[in-house]
Amino acid sequence: MNHRQLEPSDFHHTYMFFTGKGGVGKTSTASAAAVALADEGKQVLLVSTDPASNLQDVFGLEVGSDPAEVPDVPGLFTVNLDPEEAAGRYRERVVGPYRQLLPASAVASMEEQMAGACTVEVAAFDEFTQLLTDDSLTSQYDHILFDTAPTGHTLRLLQLPQAWSTFLEENEHGASCLGPVSGLASKKEQYDHALGALQDGAKTMLFLVTRPEQAAAREAFRAGRELDTLGIRNQQVIVNGLFQASSEDPLAQAWQKEQEEALELLADTAFSYIKLAPWNVTGLEALRAFFQDQEQPPAPEIEKSTAAGGLQDMVDVLQTRERGLFMTMGKGGVGKTAVAAETAAALAASGKQVHLTTTDPAADLSQFEALQSENLRISVVDPQEAFETYKEKVLREAEGSLEESELAFMREELDSPCTEEIAVFQAFAALAEEAEDELTILDTAPTGHTLLLLDAADSYHRELLRRHSPQADAVEKLLPRLRDPAYTMTAVVTLPEATPVEEAARLQQDLHRAGMYPAWWVVNQSFSKAAVTDPMLVLRAAAEQPWIERVTALAANVVVEPWKTADRRTLSQAGSGAGL
Amino acid sequence: MKIEIFDPALCCSTGVCGTDVDPALTKMAKLHTDLQKSGVDVNRYNLAQEPGAFVENKTVQQFLEEKGADALPVVLVDGEQRLEGRYPTKQDAAAWTGRSEEDLTPKEPKNQISLN
Repeated sequence: MNHRQLEPSDFHHTYMFFTGKGGVGKTSTASAAAVALADEGKQVLLVSTDPASNLQDVFGLEVGSDPAEVPDVPGLFTVNLDPEEAAGRYRERVVGPYRQLLPASAVASMEEQMAGACTVEVAAFDEFTQLLTDDSLTSQYDHILFDTAPTGHTLRLLQLPQAWSTFLEENEHGASCLGPVSGLASKKEQYDHALGALQDGAKTMLFLVTRPEQAAAREAFRAGRELDTLGIRNQQVIVNGLFQASSEDPLAQAWQKEQEEALELLADTAFSYIKLAPWNVTGLEALRAFFQDQEQPPAPEIEKSTAAGGLQDMVDVLQTRERGLFMTMGKGGVGKTAVAAETAAALAASGKQVHLTTTDPAADLSQFEALQSENLRISVVDPQEAFETYKEKVLREAEGSLEESELAFMREELDSPCTEEIAVFQAFAALAEEAEDELTILDTAPTGHTLLLLDAADSYHRELLRRHSPQADAVEKLLPRLRDPAYTMTAVVTLPEATPVEEAARLQQDLHRAGMYPAWWVVNQSFSKAAVTDPMLVLRAAAEQPWIERVTALAANVVVEPWKTADRRTLSQAGSGAGL
Repeated sequence: MKIEIFDPALCCSTGVCGTDVDPALTKMAKLHTDLQKSGVDVNRYNLAQEPGAFVENKTVQQFLEEKGADALPVVLVDGEQRLEGRYPTKQDAAAWTGRSEEDLTPKEPKNQISLN
C-alpha cells in the first residue's frame, strides 16, 4: 500500500493547514509538528482559528490573541484567532472613539448592530487574511501552522477568499452585506493574495487529518475534493491513531478490522499514518514523543467501571414529555448524531411519537434513514436548501411593496455570505417552534457554529422586539424556549479524552452565559465501560478515568456509553424496536 | 444640490442581513443607485459603520442629542433637514432636484436573455 509512517520531515512548507473532522487529532499533530520544527531551530508560529481553541489544553498554558513564545520551546510562538475576541476588538475599534461624542442611544444601537454573527465571521476572516498576507508578520517566521476549526467552519473560512472575491466582483452595488468591515472592497487585493497563498503548492500544504474510521475518512475525502475545486490541490492525508490488536480480545479484533475496512476507502490515496498512542497527547513530553514508536507500558489493573448509567436513564426522563426539544450539543466527531438518533429510536420503540432532525451539514444521513418508523419522523435542515427557501420567502413577502427592478436588486443582494447564516438560524428557530406540538430530537450543528447562532439570538431577539415583526415570532421565542428546562433538554456529548472534555466544559460555560443549563452529559465510546482485555485498550481505559471523573464533577447527570463498533453505534439498543 | 441620508445602525444598507428584510431599505438602496446613476450628488451614512459623519455634521449631531438614535433616518438637502423617521421617495428626490421622475430612472438594458 502507498502509505508510511508520518515523519517530522513531512512538515517543510511555509504555510501548513491542518483540517479534518473534530476530534481526529488536528491540534496534536499540528502542535507536535510545530514543536519538532522549533526544536530544529526554526521560527514557528502556531495559529488556532477555532472559536474554542484547544491549543491551551495541549500545551497546558493560556494561548492569547497576540503571538507569545512557549516557555520551554524557544522559537515556537502560539496565537489564537478567537473569532469572538476578534469581533470584540473590531467593535471596540469602531465604537470606542464615539462613546463620548454620540448620545448613549446611538452608541447602544451601534453596539447592538455589531453583535451579530456577521461581524464575528467577518472580523475573524479579516485577521486570518492579515496573517497570510502581512509581510512584516510572515517574514518573522519560517513556518506558520494553522490548527484550523472543525471541518464545516474551516471550509467556510477557507472558502471565503474565493466566495468574497467573486461576490465583490459581481456585486456592482458595492458589497453591502459585508458592511461590518468598512471599506471592505479596498481589501479585495488582500483577499486575492490570501487565496493565492493557499493555492501556492510551493508555499502551502494542506494536511487532511483523519482517523481510521469510515465517517472520518469520508469526511476527509469530501473536504479534500471541496478544497480541490477551490484550487487548493496541495493536499496530504494523515491517518491518526492506527491500532494493531495484540490479543484475542474480540473488541480489539473488531476495532482493528473496522479500521482496515475504513482504510480501504483510502486505498488509492497516498497517506501517512500515526500509530495509536497508549496515552492522551498532552504536554511537551508527549508532543516530542509523537513521531516515535512508543514502547507500550505494562497494562494496569482495570479500574472499577463508572457508576453512571446508560442512555436509557435519559430516555426515561424524556418519556414523560409530550412536547419540547431534546438537543445534543458538542464538537464534531463526538457522536452527537448517534446519541440523538439512538435516543429518538428508543423513544419511538416504546411507542412515543418523535421527530428526529439534524441541522449538521456533515451528518451521515444513512444513519437517520435506517431508523424511520411509524412513530419516528425524520427531517433534515440542509443549509443550502434553507438558504434558497429563505430567499424565496423574503422575495415573496417583498413582492407587494417593491417594483420589479427593486425586486431584482434585492435578489442580487440576497446572494451574500451572511444571508445563508440567517437562513439556517431561522430554520433552527422554526424547528424549536414545531416542538410545541411534537417531541423533537435535534442533532445540532458543530459547537462553534451553534454558538455563533445562539449568541446572535440575543441581538436578533432585541432587534425583533423593537420592530414587532409578526412573522418573526419563532425567532423571538427561541431563546425563552431554549432557556426553559421544561421545554428544552440539552445533553452535552463528549469523549473520555482530555481535549473533548475540556471543549465540552467550555461549551457548557458558554451555554450557562446564555442562560441554558444542560441537564445531561453523555460520555461516548468509553473503553472502560466496555469489557476490554487487550493491553492497549486497557491502557486507554485507564487513561479515561480522570476524564470521566471530571465530567461527573461538571455534569448534573451523567451517561457513560460503552465503546461500540461503527455498525452498532446508532442502532445498538434501539435497533430491535425501531421497525427495521 | 446635495442629498445626505443618515441611516440608523444597520448591518448593511439594503437590510438583507437583518432577521427579516425590510422593503423600505431595499427601496432606499435602489433609489440610491438610481440617483447616483442619474448624476445626483447623494450620500448615505450608516451609524454602525460611519459614525464619524454623524459627529461631524452639527445638524445631525443635534438631532441625535434631542431625539435619539431611534428617530433615524434623517435626510438633509444642502445641509438642511428635510425628512426624519422615513426615507425619501422618488417624488421627494424629483422635487428637490427639479428633475422629472423618469429622468431620475436610468435605462435598464432592454434585451436581457433569460437562461432559466
